[in-house]
Amino acid sequence: MRLLVLGAGPGGYVAALKAAQLGAEVIVVEDTEVGGTCLNRGCIPTKALVASAEAIHKAKKLKDFGVDVSGEITPNLSRIMERKNKVVSTQVKGIRSLFKSWGVTLIEGKGMLLTPGKVEIEKKDGSVEIVEADKIIIATGSKPAQIPIFPFDGEHILSSDDALNIKSIPKSLIIVGAGVIGCEFACIFRELGTEVTMVEMMPGAISTEDPEIARLLEKELKKKKIKLMTEVKVERVEGQHDGIHVGLAGGKELVAEKLLVSIGRSLNTEGIGLEAIGIKKGSRGEIEVNEHMETNIEGIYAIGDVTGGMLLAHVASKEGTVAAYNACGIEKKIDYSVVPAAIFTSPEIASVGLREDQASEKGIDYITGHFQFRALGKAHAMGEISGFVKVVADKETDRLLGVHIIGPHASDLIHEAAVAIKAGLKVRDIADTIHAHPTLSEGLMEAAEDVHGEAIHVPKPT
Amino acid sequence: MNFPDDLKYHREHTWVKVSGKKATIGITDYAQDALGDIVYIDLPEIDAEISKDAEFSEIESTKATSSVIAPVSGTIIEVNEDLEESPEIINEDPYGKGWIAVLELTDPSEIDDLLDAADYERYIEEEAK
Repeated sequence: MRLLVLGAGPGGYVAALKAAQLGAEVIVVEDTEVGGTCLNRGCIPTKALVASAEAIHKAKKLKDFGVDVSGEITPNLSRIMERKNKVVSTQVKGIRSLFKSWGVTLIEGKGMLLTPGKVEIEKKDGSVEIVEADKIIIATGSKPAQIPIFPFDGEHILSSDDALNIKSIPKSLIIVGAGVIGCEFACIFRELGTEVTMVEMMPGAISTEDPEIARLLEKELKKKKIKLMTEVKVERVEGQHDGIHVGLAGGKELVAEKLLVSIGRSLNTEGIGLEAIGIKKGSRGEIEVNEHMETNIEGIYAIGDVTGGMLLAHVASKEGTVAAYNACGIEKKIDYSVVPAAIFTSPEIASVGLREDQASEKGIDYITGHFQFRALGKAHAMGEISGFVKVVADKETDRLLGVHIIGPHASDLIHEAAVAIKAGLKVRDIADTIHAHPTLSEGLMEAAEDVHGEAIHVPKPT
Repeated sequence: MNFPDDLKYHREHTWVKVSGKKATIGITDYAQDALGDIVYIDLPEIDAEISKDAEFSEIESTKATSSVIAPVSGTIIEVNEDLEESPEIINEDPYGKGWIAVLELTDPSEIDDLLDAADYERYIEEEAK
């Protein structure tokens, strides 16, 4: 069985490797670089920058930790970018090497579906190759969405892709869109020394997260002197000699050296032949798929961002695995019941399962437990006391429904909760499990205890 | 614990020093002691209008986060910028160097609602029971 995968991002390359492991002959077509957005323009490079930002932050606080420094702490942008590029290229080489190891053929070029079994590939050298395949997985991903009246120019109006490759640290930056990407960049740039102003249409930042978490993040952003303007729309953008002028609805004008637009992603459904072969798309242009990741055309699957959905790399990878199994004749269904998500702001945010409003919507009578990181010895020892853990549980069955964390290492801590929810565990199961001391994980244990009013490190309620 | 006689006190543990139509405000010795080591204060903005009995600031200590309640209503005309770098000054000297803001009073008669030092001290003793 020959499988052709269109796109080598976290969805495509995982699907390709899985199918190869299952014995299929696999060809991957990639028009930019192996690893897709995640590896080259998203997850990995941003986390490399976050690591540099954390290093700067720690360096500025060395005195607090009893370390004397002589001299200035200065970010060296070209070194920061060099490091980021090295991290990325090592990962890219790793995937190419995995392809070789598993016998996956990589064709570098832009692929377009001609018929349900035939793909035309325009290669980088201009030549065209036609490849026939028994099954096809479409994994073309997404790209930064721009505001049509002021498109990206890579110089003054930046996309997240551009922000990752800046050549100098801007003195000032306006960020349009205070979602996950906007907030992560706000923290990175602020740490580099940029004056950051964020403009958001919704009433608050990261509006898809638990409101208590979002409110605390807003406070932390304020502490960093990041200015956040909410319920505000951008009406006009003009480049002038003194910088980018951004006119807001209501008359106010902001001026900064650069503008970063992080309002969302647009799906890569153009120019790949979907219309020609009759692939069904949804209202937002997303490719529609069933629980086997199959489109309306038998033998053609679609995974990752191009199908809309959560726009998360790990979701794309899971979908890739499911699609690969189905393409190879082994039935599998995608399960979205437990999808952890992490935001690499400072402090980090992570969540899995239901928010309170989602539990309400499902008609579940729920209870919550909270625990502040500042009540944990480990957090104090580390010098990172801001944040909390919130547990949402079913009042009747005590089943764990959701966990929301803002604080140090939230992105790692969340997985205890993810496993617990997947296994249908009760809050008491977490509360009754001994957690090593002193660790941040004790925060989850005490939040679980707090659901039943049994947390120890909490003063008696008045 | 210290409760200077020349100040007026709000039940939510803030103090006021009146000077004509202006007033300086801060948190009491009882409050700073209960909070523990203060690590951050969210200072109000100049020109902000604050209302008696409503939250106008937030203080974070190593133990907890706490609302700071306005003892009187007015417009902020000055804030203690030293507290940005060194919020612990509030712990060290809550009535002197730890002042939080100066405001122009909207309604000087609100002072009559506040407690004097002796009444505030009595109030705290009652609360502790």
